[in-house]
Amino acid sequence: MRLSSPVNERPYRSVMIVTMILFLVISGKLVELQIVKGDYYSELSSRNHIRSVIRPAPRGIVRDRNGVVLADNIPSFTVSMVSVEFDSANSLLLGELLRMEPQMLQERLSAAASNPYRSTQLLNGLTVENAGRVADNLYRLGGVSVDVLPRRRYPLSSSFCHLIGYVGLADSARVFEGELEGRTGIERILNHRLMGSHGIVREVVDAYGRVVEKFKEGDVDPTPGENVTLTVDAELQLIADSLIISTGHPGAAVVLNWETGEILVLSSIPGFDTNQFIGGISSENWNNILSDPGKPMLNRSWATAYPPGSTYKIVTAAWLLESGIVDENTMPDPCYGTFHFAGSDFSCWSTHGRLNIVGALVQSCDTYFYRTSMLGDMDELAEFSRGYGLGAPVTDILPGEADGTLPTRELLNQLFGQGGWGLGNLMIASIGQGEVLATPLQIAVTAALIASGGELPPLSLVSGELSSHRSWETHTSEETFRIVREGMRLAVSSPRGTLNQSMGYLPVTVFGKSGTAEAGSGGDHAWVTGYLEEPVPVAFAVIIENGGHGGAVAGPVAAGIIEKIVEIDHER
Amino acid sequence: MRDNERIDWFFAVSLFLLLSMGLLSIYSASGTDKTLFTHQMYFVIIGAVVFLFASIFPLRFLEEAVPLLYGITLILLVLTIFFGGGPAGRWLQIGPLNIQASEFAKFCVVVLSARWLPALRREFITGGVPLYLATVGLLTVLTLLQPDLGTAAAMVMMVFGMIYWAGFGFSWIFLFLSPLAAAVSSIRFASWLAFTALLSLVLYRSGAKPRRWVFFLVMTTVIAAATPSAWGLLRPYQQTRLTTFLNPEADPYGAGWNVIQSKVAIGAGGITGEGFLNGSQNELAFLPARHTDFVFSVWAEEWGFVGSLFLLFIYSVLVWRILLGAKRSLNPFNSIVGAGTAIFIIIHVVVNVGMTLGMMPVTGLPLPLITYGGSHIITEMLLLGFSYNVIRNWRSY
Repeated sequence: MRLSSPVNERPYRSVMIVTMILFLVISGKLVELQIVKGDYYSELSSRNHIRSVIRPAPRGIVRDRNGVVLADNIPSFTVSMVSVEFDSANSLLLGELLRMEPQMLQERLSAAASNPYRSTQLLNGLTVENAGRVADNLYRLGGVSVDVLPRRRYPLSSSFCHLIGYVGLADSARVFEGELEGRTGIERILNHRLMGSHGIVREVVDAYGRVVEKFKEGDVDPTPGENVTLTVDAELQLIADSLIISTGHPGAAVVLNWETGEILVLSSIPGFDTNQFIGGISSENWNNILSDPGKPMLNRSWATAYPPGSTYKIVTAAWLLESGIVDENTMPDPCYGTFHFAGSDFSCWSTHGRLNIVGALVQSCDTYFYRTSMLGDMDELAEFSRGYGLGAPVTDILPGEADGTLPTRELLNQLFGQGGWGLGNLMIASIGQGEVLATPLQIAVTAALIASGGELPPLSLVSGELSSHRSWETHTSEETFRIVREGMRLAVSSPRGTLNQSMGYLPVTVFGKSGTAEAGSGGDHAWVTGYLEEPVPVAFAVIIENGGHGGAVAGPVAAGIIEKIVEIDHER
Repeated sequence: MRDNERIDWFFAVSLFLLLSMGLLSIYSASGTDKTLFTHQMYFVIIGAVVFLFASIFPLRFLEEAVPLLYGITLILLVLTIFFGGGPAGRWLQIGPLNIQASEFAKFCVVVLSARWLPALRREFITGGVPLYLATVGLLTVLTLLQPDLGTAAAMVMMVFGMIYWAGFGFSWIFLFLSPLAAAVSSIRFASWLAFTALLSLVLYRSGAKPRRWVFFLVMTTVIAAATPSAWGLLRPYQQTRLTTFLNPEADPYGAGWNVIQSKVAIGAGGITGEGFLNGSQNELAFLPARHTDFVFSVWAEEWGFVGSLFLLFIYSVLVWRILLGAKRSLNPFNSIVGAGTAIFIIIHVVVNVGMTLGMMPVTGLPLPLITYGGSHIITEMLLLGFSYNVIRNWRSY
């Protein structure tokens, strides 16, 4: 007996047939993918690969002695590219998205092409909108990626443009394209400490160069660079800057602590915004810097040597005393305003009459130095000056530090030939003119050596570290120091002193020496150097380029700096 | 004829082979960390116990237990909507277990239809059709809200298949499906007009009474009007999935990216495959969701065209044996349970494999017996156990 099934044959057959048709359609697609196009997909599959991506380390943070940040890092959107995975047909689109000048983009693209398998930075510091626009289009830009990477920032960029310097793309990338290195300043000289070590992330990318996932093994985290604390005082330097700027001339100021050798101020005006160098400076900004008549790229505090003028007289005076040519009471023939010698006129800036060495320093009488130095030996003065830090760099680390010049027989023979020069060159040298050249930093060192009695330690720029191995050989007796100091004290405090008008009002005892140096062209350079004993043992030097009279132009700048030093000291 | 004492070897070997192929693929897809494989082993073992239980459980009791199962499923679905967790919010955590209620809902749809449809076919029950549509529709809507669009769509297709299996004509099927058709037609006013015209024609041809006219026209109009706001209820990723399928050019590298990688993997397999554990796409982790949605790509890359066809062949054998049993079965409930199970498997295989080949939308429907996951393995083993029960007891009424 057979019962009839509630289901007739029809639904069973239909469902089986529909199933077979569906499975046949799927099989057809499998034939297409696995047999007809199998080789094509095999090829695509083999192009999926693992790549290493360098993660740059954040550079060390640079701070001043009080913790004021001079250089740090901010997270920044960066667009990078792996050249081999990039279809150059997309460069137009990429340029549009990045809003990049075609020429600049081409430059970066060829940089990337030179290292085709590595990730190369195209542009950093993108705004959220620009980065987002690129990120939205990543699917059609194989090989391009958008990352958040540390970007260098200089909060007091203009003031510290020469000291801190800036970073740029490494000229010859040792490790990876897009590697940053310090180009100038501290960024360059301490690059090895600031840079840290980069990390490596391994990514799996598909045939289109898009990241599929992170490859977990073999990652190396970046090690941030060492943080560096400098001896400089940003607050003081900003004051020095504004004081120089108020003169309307380019200039420089240096302040040292003569007990510790710490450099407190290295000011050079005008400066420039180093932030615009990050990620490549535009040609417009670059031309603006180059065409600025104030020559902001020129570092005036340690890389430019000027005729020191009368500020050099503190060294000459010490030499005259030490070499026995004069003593405290020696009074050569009077100053008549002009000194005739060997058929030439050697002029003094005023008529001073008969003076001893203290009076000559106080009133800055040139004739006194003409009449006395002519009795000495040029090479001896040069050698003596060398012991005061002149004629050679005073630190080991400041980049491009100028040597300065001290005239010697050898040098003058080279310049003018045997017999082409005479005693007049020595007489001119004694007042810091002629062949004598020195940087403001060197002049500050001479003042610091007078102040410390030759005991100035080697200079220091990085907190707790010596930045120089240069030792000072002043060969100067305590008695000589006393006499020179007296001349410097009275130059400020005596009514006849050249600095009395500009600095005599200060509530602290200032030891100073002005200088008005003849410049090759333009007006005289206005100089002042000197030091304090109380409340803080600092030595200083200020130059105002083509500023005119030292006491009248540089004096007020130095006075303003000293006011600030006293104020800071009171606050602490 | 003593079928109920004989083992159906076709069925048993197919089931064993599919489970083995699944475990091989999960082993290969799980890379160096074999945790997934170990879990899948446990799921298969639990599934085997469930299978044995279902294959001897009296089907009569199952039919009587349908209202109870329906209630439990509703509670699980509602709980998931409010307390669901996991990546897409579809998992209900009960102690250490993560349950995907929408998988069990598919089982419920099968047994619910098996209980309703023969009765509706046999005699006219007042309000029967709307009641059936309402009970099944509630399951579908709750599944949609899990949110699990793919499973909800699969349920609708299963219902369609079972209605056809139960012997309803195409007019009936059209009327059963009219709520869904109304929803789809609401995309454009013109298509809704066309749908309504077609509906009227079918109602007229079937000689419907005024009450039925009113019911269908009002219901479909309400659904069509409500669909745009329901679309707004869909999660953005679901909308993307649907629109990506309807218009692949809209997002070729976003949601389509997985599919491209899947096609690369399958195509790279070639005729004979790259060999077990040698699929470079899979081993280097280019394949997205390689142990879940795209497990077929793993199999196809490593075993090639030959392996892929073999897999489809084994599914065909399994489906054939179940449909054969369902056809022979004298009990209409049993017949529809078997047919529902076969249709379940066909729909899932076609949708899942079609998805890995770029022919179907990325819905997240599992490949039966193979995709990683406990809930769907257990649901499938439960349905297959009852189907085996149906095959062996085709004579019982």
